[in-house]
Amino acid sequence: MEHSPELIKELEEKVLVVRKNILRIFEGSHQGHCGGTMSLTEIVTALYFHHLKLDPGNCDWPDRDRVVLSKAHAAESIYAVLPEIGYVTRETLDKYYAYQSQFQGHADRWCTPGIDYSGGSLGQGLSFSAGMALAEKIKSDMNPPDLHILPVNMPRLIRKDNPAYRVFCIVGDGELHEGQNWEAAMLAGKYQLDNLILIVDYNKFCIDGPVEKIMPLAPLDEKFRAFGWWVKEIDGHNFNEILDVLDLANNLYGDGKPKCIIAHTVKGHGIPIWEKSHAHVGRADCLDLALKEGKDLYGQI
Amino acid sequence: MVKFNKYVEIGPGAPIMAGAEAGMLKVVNKYPNVIAVLEDTGALAIDWFKKNAPNRIVECGIAEANAAVVAAGLAAEGFRPFILGFTFATVGRAYNQIRQSILVDHFNVKMVGREMWGEMGISHNVVEGIGSLRVLPNLVVINAADVVESEKAFVAMADYIGPVFFRMESQLPYKIFTADYPFEIGKAYAIKDGNDATIIATGYMVSEAIKAIDILEKDKLDVGIINMGTLKPLDEDAIIDAAKKTGAIVTAEAGSIIGGLGEGVGAILAENVSASLVRVGIEDEFSQSARITPAKDELMILHGLTAENIALSVKECISKRDKLKLHRK
Repeated sequence: MEHSPELIKELEEKVLVVRKNILRIFEGSHQGHCGGTMSLTEIVTALYFHHLKLDPGNCDWPDRDRVVLSKAHAAESIYAVLPEIGYVTRETLDKYYAYQSQFQGHADRWCTPGIDYSGGSLGQGLSFSAGMALAEKIKSDMNPPDLHILPVNMPRLIRKDNPAYRVFCIVGDGELHEGQNWEAAMLAGKYQLDNLILIVDYNKFCIDGPVEKIMPLAPLDEKFRAFGWWVKEIDGHNFNEILDVLDLANNLYGDGKPKCIIAHTVKGHGIPIWEKSHAHVGRADCLDLALKEGKDLYGQI
Repeated sequence: MVKFNKYVEIGPGAPIMAGAEAGMLKVVNKYPNVIAVLEDTGALAIDWFKKNAPNRIVECGIAEANAAVVAAGLAAEGFRPFILGFTFATVGRAYNQIRQSILVDHFNVKMVGREMWGEMGISHNVVEGIGSLRVLPNLVVINAADVVESEKAFVAMADYIGPVFFRMESQLPYKIFTADYPFEIGKAYAIKDGNDATIIATGYMVSEAIKAIDILEKDKLDVGIINMGTLKPLDEDAIIDAAKKTGAIVTAEAGSIIGGLGEGVGAILAENVSASLVRVGIEDEFSQSARITPAKDELMILHGLTAENIALSVKECISKRDKLKLHRK
């Protein structure tokens, strides 16, 4: 699949805005989950500025695509997008962590327009997404008036027409250590949730060190395939690859398989000191330096 | 002859599940968005579902953490999911999932936890259920005393918009209420009035409280019974009024006295009115196996979950009240 150079260029400009917004968030809060936020910037940009079905004027549109940020500590990546699509004011960027702010410490459905899931306790977002995806299936299955005479034991799950909405779930790699993900993966396979797209932000680092040392995940692709999923690995910072895989997942709708996109990313991407230190949380000591690096690279925030 | 209040007519007990099943049948017909989320423990009204709406069953298998959050996802999309399972697993294996994914956003998820006393042993005999749930914000906790209240509470729980936990004890000794008994979430019901002391009981222990009245009447004691069908929120007015009237309150629950009904009542009394309190419940310990009958009684005797213990506690409570002069008529 080819994407026009104009589109790629437009997204590359957008990602700069998103990255600057993230830095502005950190500047206001003096702390934040920088590593896992920066590794998501291109993915979130591609989703919100191109791929997702959403109504910028109406964050509660029932047919909008859902985004469940299971790694809710990286909420800053989505917070940085929300003013750009008109869900919150630009001033909100300065109120991360603040009392009664729309930008809570972890993604919060109640407080923030455009956030579909309140996370923070890791490993639950995929189950929530599976519930939402299942709801879409069941609702469309309930609509036929002849439901009561259908000789079925399970919902008619595989359809060729488009779903009312798709559910995009974003998990971190370390988060996959939580066993509940695999309970949800089993369920998604069983119910053939081809309207569910899981994106693994595979940035290779937990707080305590490299993921493969803390608790090895490899071979991650084979694990998901064994659970009945369609799996594709991409470079999570390459817009061509991101757009391709999202389109591919869309086009495969109707195959009865939940989709898993393993996005290889770099923790702290875009800020050298964070990339070097695999920083999970940007604390005050290195934050000033990181902000300076950011300003040098991307201009005034 | 014991004189009970309106809507009370004591009869032989039936499994509380029968009431829940009847309630579920009403609910599935009333609300097309009711959906059963299962944890391989069987569904209430399963035959109805299989025949009429197989697509309204989501079987999660033995994966309670996942089931709790899948239910939350369904509720977020407008469904009214009923999770059916055993308390030790539905709650115990998914405590943080219930907190984070159901309660934080007040999703309309109903949880039905069966509690087994006796045959299943230490794993299934949940002592910590009430205490662990009462502490959670945004949650309503219901504990029915008989088959009738169970059916009524089931419908009330579906009508209420928000998360509810329904504690389903396996077998209750008596049928207590008449068919027109009005159940309301958050409202206690006085089964019997009395001037000397008041027993505030919930679930299984309401039957034992009724048995205890026979013992107490022999001692010429006029004791009232309040059925606390909702454990959260507790009916504060009913508790305070009872304490003002008798000054001697005995709580009775088939669960740990730590964090349970007794502690809840105790806190309300301490803040509002001078009264004597004795808590009947399981001391700080786990349980064990016992056959249903007659050995099940041995288990209840071991834990003091008996009419005899309630009667003794009432007398202790009255003498404490009088000795400490805790009550002025």
